Amino acid sequence: MTLRMKVMTGLLASALLVPFAAQAGETLDRVMSTKVLTMSSDPAYPPQSFLNDKNEMAGFDVDVGREIAKRMDAELKIITPAWEIITAGKWGGRWDMSVGSMTPTTERANVLDFPAVYYYTPASFAVHKDSKVSSIADLNGKKIGVCGGCTYEAYLKKDLVIDAEGVPAFDYQVTAGEMRLYETDTHAFDDLRLGDGTRLDAILSALPTIQEAIKNGYAMKVVGDPVYYEPLAVAVDKGDAEFSAKIAEIVKAMHADGTLSKISQTWYGADLSTVK
Amino acid sequence: MAGQKRALAFFLAAAVVFFLLDIGTGFFGRLLAPAGLTGVAARGAVAVVLALILTGNIALLRLLPFWPQVIVVWLQLLLLFLAFFASFDLSYDFILTRIGFLITQGAFTTVYISLAAIALASAIALLGALARLSKNGFAYAIAGFYISFFRGTPLLLQVYLIYLGLPQLGFVVSAVPSGIAALALCYGAYMAEIFRAGIQAVPRGQSEAGTALGLKPSLILRKIILPQAIKIIVPPTGNQFIAMLKDSSLVSVMGVWELMFLARTQGRAEFKNLEMLITAALIYWILSAVFETIQSRIEHHYRKADVR
Repeated sequence: MTLRMKVMTGLLASALLVPFAAQAGETLDRVMSTKVLTMSSDPAYPPQSFLNDKNEMAGFDVDVGREIAKRMDAELKIITPAWEIITAGKWGGRWDMSVGSMTPTTERANVLDFPAVYYYTPASFAVHKDSKVSSIADLNGKKIGVCGGCTYEAYLKKDLVIDAEGVPAFDYQVTAGEMRLYETDTHAFDDLRLGDGTRLDAILSALPTIQEAIKNGYAMKVVGDPVYYEPLAVAVDKGDAEFSAKIAEIVKAMHADGTLSKISQTWYGADLSTVK
Repeated sequence: MAGQKRALAFFLAAAVVFFLLDIGTGFFGRLLAPAGLTGVAARGAVAVVLALILTGNIALLRLLPFWPQVIVVWLQLLLLFLAFFASFDLSYDFILTRIGFLITQGAFTTVYISLAAIALASAIALLGALARLSKNGFAYAIAGFYISFFRGTPLLLQVYLIYLGLPQLGFVVSAVPSGIAALALCYGAYMAEIFRAGIQAVPRGQSEAGTALGLKPSLILRKIILPQAIKIIVPPTGNQFIAMLKDSSLVSVMGVWELMFLARTQGRAEFKNLEMLITAALIYWILSAVFETIQSRIEHHYRKADVR
């Protein structure tokens, strides 16, 4: 090995070996000095977050993010990478937090930190308006559509683990005959609205999203009570404990002073910041 | 006589197909409703009427000379296409309120990402092709490896690799440059092969003649080989550009607000997906048509040498 080759291999090896992790306090320092808090958000998930008629991001998650930024005395900047890019972790400082209705599952906790649960979404089944299904028990053996990689898929596969405080216990009430996976919930809605059993017999999704679709003319109806409540948390990159603590403190204050209930009332017409 | 028999056979076949597929009973069924037909009779009547229209149309079109025929068929297909869209019962007001942003933000981003990627890809392709043709084992191996990998993996995967992978090495590249890099690298690999084939298609005697005249290899390449290779390279390269224009939609996974991204997201809040998707389809189509025109202009320019 010549000296030049040695140096080059050394450089290459160190570039590969040094893990790229945020240093302690780095994110918080950046936000505090630039006065900009960058948040990632899904542009196609109404009413949590969506592009409104002025082509700006709006929704429950966006308002929560804006409030967090306000309490950090920073300006909120929103970017919209795909879901799998957010959940892949290792954000490299491209954005600071995700207020994206993310369920803090054990697998996700391997790559991301979840400093604070900010609300709970009821998960419900829905069927086509003309369907004869009248109770959750009728759904056994049906063709059910869910978004792939979501907790709804885990529920139907009966391996949903939610380990957050204050979440009521649930049991698996439905065994799907066939499960169809979609990129996002609304694609499943589009298939269900084609007709009862045309492509799907039922869907399992967030109750607020289902209600929003029904309000917008989707021929669907909700079946029974919510089957479980999923906690939804703010997610941050691993490695900055001070930033996590700051987020946790802010969200706790927003729970306590009723800000979250108020934002929830605005977008969902109900208080989802606590479990009933 | 044979022509009439053929027309009759065509008419019958069309009527049977229309009847079996149950096409047009909605719209034409309403038109024929006053005749008082229902059920199978109505379906049969609609099939006969449609088949008559189709057969008559073709018979009339046969009377026209070539170019009017082409234009009329184009217009008819376009009308059918529009009727197909119209049947979706779209909200045009909704499209009108969103189309401005779709063009100024979406189409603009798509075009500038594509143009930047095309310029870079052309440079990469020329280097790649020359390396593939060189006698330097080092250059040949690097180019071969690069072309093999980037042609052999999906573009979407390359986008993810560049956007998610580079930060692991400490290079945090933002979304637009990552997208341009992925598109340029992927299309550079395809185009390198096109360029190589184009250069190799120039007869050997051309460079030998240059050598015999005492010209330097670089001058032979620039003044003799490349000008002749370009006219072979242009048509397939134009193809690649049009394909890239549409593949640039893959950078939307990184959250770049280009045409496809907005088409997918703009309608979501009101659950109006088809409106924006169809609008985006038309915009892509128009952009591609512009690229096609530019390509044929360039082709024409480099073909001047062939005109006698």
